[in-house]
Amino acid sequence: MRGELSPGAKVAIYGLMSVLLIPFVFPTWWMITSSVKPISDIFAFPPDLIPRRVDFSTYAQVFELQPFARQYWNSAYIAAVVTAGTMLFSSMAGYAFARIRFPFANALFMVVLLGLLIPSEVTIVPLFQMFLAWDMINTHWPLILVPIFGAPSVFATFVMRQFFIALPAELEEAARVDGLGRFKIFWTIALPLARPALAAVGIFTFLHSWNLYLEPIVFLSSPEMFTLPQALTQYTDAYGGAMWNIQLAAATLTAVPVLIVFIIAQKQFVEGLAHTGLKG
Amino acid sequence: MASVTLSNVQKSYGKTAVIHGVDVEIADGEFVVLVGPSGCGKSTLLRMIAGLETITGGEVLIGDRVVNDLEPKDRDIAMVFQNYALYPHMTVAANMGFSLEHRGTSKAEIGKRVKWAAEILGLSEMLERYPRQLSGGQRQRVAMGRAIVRDPQVFLFDEPLSNLDAKLRVVMRGEIKSLHQRLKTTTIYVTHDQIEAMTMADKIVVLNGGRVEQIGAPLDLYDRPANKFVAGFIGSPAMNFIPGEITANGFAADGVLLPLPETAHDLSPRPMLYGIRPEHFALTSDGIAATVELVEPMGSETQVTMLLGGTPVIGAFRERVRAEPGETIHVRPEIASVHLFDGDSGRRAN
Repeated sequence: MRGELSPGAKVAIYGLMSVLLIPFVFPTWWMITSSVKPISDIFAFPPDLIPRRVDFSTYAQVFELQPFARQYWNSAYIAAVVTAGTMLFSSMAGYAFARIRFPFANALFMVVLLGLLIPSEVTIVPLFQMFLAWDMINTHWPLILVPIFGAPSVFATFVMRQFFIALPAELEEAARVDGLGRFKIFWTIALPLARPALAAVGIFTFLHSWNLYLEPIVFLSSPEMFTLPQALTQYTDAYGGAMWNIQLAAATLTAVPVLIVFIIAQKQFVEGLAHTGLKG
Repeated sequence: MASVTLSNVQKSYGKTAVIHGVDVEIADGEFVVLVGPSGCGKSTLLRMIAGLETITGGEVLIGDRVVNDLEPKDRDIAMVFQNYALYPHMTVAANMGFSLEHRGTSKAEIGKRVKWAAEILGLSEMLERYPRQLSGGQRQRVAMGRAIVRDPQVFLFDEPLSNLDAKLRVVMRGEIKSLHQRLKTTTIYVTHDQIEAMTMADKIVVLNGGRVEQIGAPLDLYDRPANKFVAGFIGSPAMNFIPGEITANGFAADGVLLPLPETAHDLSPRPMLYGIRPEHFALTSDGIAATVELVEPMGSETQVTMLLGGTPVIGAFRERVRAEPGETIHVRPEIASVHLFDGDSGRRAN
């Protein structure tokens, strides 16, 4: 049959893939195993792939040294709000750019896309000034508002626009004949059909918000308000040295939702990427 | 049910005019087919009636109401689209009941109407399926079901059979026609397929380049086309056109003299087109000599491409023609079925 590989070729390909897998799998394995090792075993050479001594007390210390549960909640609810907000606004903006004819639509879309070219480091100081003026420093508002209306949302708008452009116009026309107005067409016809693209946007946005590091360290100052990436840097001893095993235990706990989201939604993730015609 | 009147309807995109003042009267309960080649404006005209395209000039009336500025939902029409336009995320029942649900009809009434439409269209067993689980013909039926549950004043069909295979198209053609005979709802149907137009319509509107070429009953158009365009468009294989001149002895074409009907005797000598349909040639031993170029046996008839004088023409004969290319056969045009068209304007002359 055409496209069928010979057994030899299969072995070669799977062998190559296994080798390529190492740089991706090893750090995660090292993080998980090191989180239950005594600190002296972590940098032993050669490294132990399987821990010789297992100590789960590191996980308890994660919660003792910092308000880690609170920080976990902070990250979780911020990511959830940012994800929901971005999905809502980017789908509406993407739909408008794709389906509504208005003057300078393409030029405006180009202007919006230009937002992607500006690194977040460039805008962080003006944003700090702005949120300071609004009395929002050391609150979670900047971590919610900046992604929803910033570069991540621009990318999400682009993804949604690409999807809605491909939606058959006849579906909308049928809905118009059926009596729907513009918003209802969007809400009851276009949006339910955009689930693959929405899922991709949701995953991208959740991961971006979950991993956000620069903004929290600029806008937040009290441990109760910290999000996880910022909290991870705080597991240090009296001399500022990293408490590696505790930090890696916290990192393992931090990575769990990301892995769960990706495992559940990887199909939509790949489909969403295919819709955009982009690579990750 | 309602009549539909198009009065000097025009459509332009910027400076480009695509519909140049169309006047059509469609009676209550009539099945009218808009037919014409690609780009003639038939779908645009239908979409203007539906309210999916704005009207640049003129008036569209449904019943006594001018609907130019009404939204599609306020025109009391239902439309069946070329690609069915079924909502992929809804079941067949949800698709059919969607517009009623949106209009606030009670669930019991929606259920009753959907069941009624499903029974008419043979969809009762498929109500819980999704469009992706249906064949092309079934999807087409669902699209029709979605239209009929609304019980609108006018049905609009935009080339609904063009995505189906030839066999299914014939079946669905019959179903749409019998549905119309049962419901008696005014229907406007767009197609580029003249056979669909001939078999389904009470009245055909032939469009070309955004203008109406002729309006009439199918056989009227077939028997007395108003011009060369209609004559060539209606009928398959198409009518033969032989250029030449009327003389005292007959129609003088390239290397051949053709007999003229009595209706041509008053015509002044001038360049003309001699129109004759393929089936209006008869094989006869004392007819005009023609050189066979191609023989195509169709089963029910045989189509022969032949050179009549210097002009290639097609003849369709009920007899089995066993001639080889290059052989000479003798044919005679049925004089009563000869059409003469003005050489310059293409208008019917006899």
